[in-house]
Amino acid sequence: MKNNLTNIMLLVFLSGLLLLTGCTPGQTAKTAESQTEDRSWMFHDIVDAEFVKAHMDIPMPANVMLIDSRPYKTKFIQGHIPGAVSIPFSEFDQKTNLLPQDKSALLIFYCEGETCKLSHNSARKAEALGYKNVKVYSKGYPEWVTLKGNYPSVSAEQVALMISENKALIVDSRPKQAKYDKGHVPTAVNIPDTQFDELKGKLPRDLKTPVVFYCGGLDCPLSHKSAKKAIEMGYTDVSVFSLGYPEWEKLYGGSAPAVAAKSGGVEGAIDLDRFVSILANNPESIVIVDVRDPDEFAKGSFKTAVNIPVGNLEKKINELPTDKPVVFVCTTGARSGEAFYMTKDLKNSLKEVYYVEAGITFKGDGQYEIKKPKKS
Amino acid sequence: MFKKITILFAAALFILVSNTILVASEGPGGNDRKGKYTYRKVYKACSEAGQVESATPKISPANKTMAEWKAIFEAKKFNEFGCEQHWAALSDEDVLDIYTYFYGHASDSPSPATCN
Repeated sequence: MKNNLTNIMLLVFLSGLLLLTGCTPGQTAKTAESQTEDRSWMFHDIVDAEFVKAHMDIPMPANVMLIDSRPYKTKFIQGHIPGAVSIPFSEFDQKTNLLPQDKSALLIFYCEGETCKLSHNSARKAEALGYKNVKVYSKGYPEWVTLKGNYPSVSAEQVALMISENKALIVDSRPKQAKYDKGHVPTAVNIPDTQFDELKGKLPRDLKTPVVFYCGGLDCPLSHKSAKKAIEMGYTDVSVFSLGYPEWEKLYGGSAPAVAAKSGGVEGAIDLDRFVSILANNPESIVIVDVRDPDEFAKGSFKTAVNIPVGNLEKKINELPTDKPVVFVCTTGARSGEAFYMTKDLKNSLKEVYYVEAGITFKGDGQYEIKKPKKS
Repeated sequence: MFKKITILFAAALFILVSNTILVASEGPGGNDRKGKYTYRKVYKACSEAGQVESATPKISPANKTMAEWKAIFEAKKFNEFGCEQHWAALSDEDVLDIYTYFYGHASDSPSPATCN
């Protein structure tokens, strides 16, 4: 009886202890299980973000290759570590020609974090091909983009999507006359990196607006320099289109003005849905010139509009900006249409010029109502 | 009887309005926005040449009806406008654009021209 009582007291004591330490028999078993979890799938040489950063440069050193093992369409396009080459694990055997010829080159594979096996499997395949200096950055892309000062690189397809949705400002970091004027990604504003401080006012007011910088491809550091400056300014959604304009030209052809501010069918008329979308998402990407009289303008206009009455436009035509699409507005399309044809006639060098062929009612405080014309 | 008259009147009104809209929407087929600019440009050049006092045209599309403008432009009688040399220098396409502007904003058109 005494022994039984002692046993019961011991059991109660142990149970209390377990409760105090927060352990349950199930949890203890689970912990033990995780300690003995099979990690044999992991590659033998794991590195961290510091190691990756220490071996990265723009352009990437010839004897270093950073390889993204994730699927191209669903992952790489949307964001990857700058300088990385896409060799999805599923296509590794078909894309070994992308690997460096030098078998002693440093290969760093990464994928979607610590539970992702793609980079580990790819690394093993590379080693089997004879590469002697193979590493895996196992925390991969999810960790990379959250580290302070880092930013993702995006692909041309993602840039095209951002343009079509008018949700991002695209910035060309190359010199104006030598590069930008000869061709650029549609809707891109030009802020040459060398003039960043002088021209940073072209960046959106809202620091949360996505901003994508690009320049002349993987060997060009300008977009990366500007991206870092933008992050220092407080922009929270900065990325770089690392393959830059050469890749854009390859995929979509040369400079094709007006992808964002596309024509609405009638000559010079901006697509109304696109115009409304630009107003809502990225009004700073265009210059709106209200060509009504000052008294009309004073009663209300678009928030970012400037007022140049059509009667004064000829005198001020050289003041129209050349680095953004210009969109003329009035209340019916009559005066803005006249402004459009005047600009085409007197300043034909200005390529991205439009007017709004619609009825616009301005309600003050930047509020407005746009009615599509019946005849078009 | 009264009901029949009402129906006939409504039908006639419908045909009249429909035809007016149809005629207005058909128009001469040029570019009225470009026509407005070209018309003003003619007067500016004419004024600079000292042939008219003001660079602002005195004749507005709303001064006449669509039928009146049709008669003028089809007959190519532009003497009322003055600036004959400048009118003569215009291409057929420019004249068509100006005609489209005048016709589309005539006094009996759906959107008569205002001072702007």
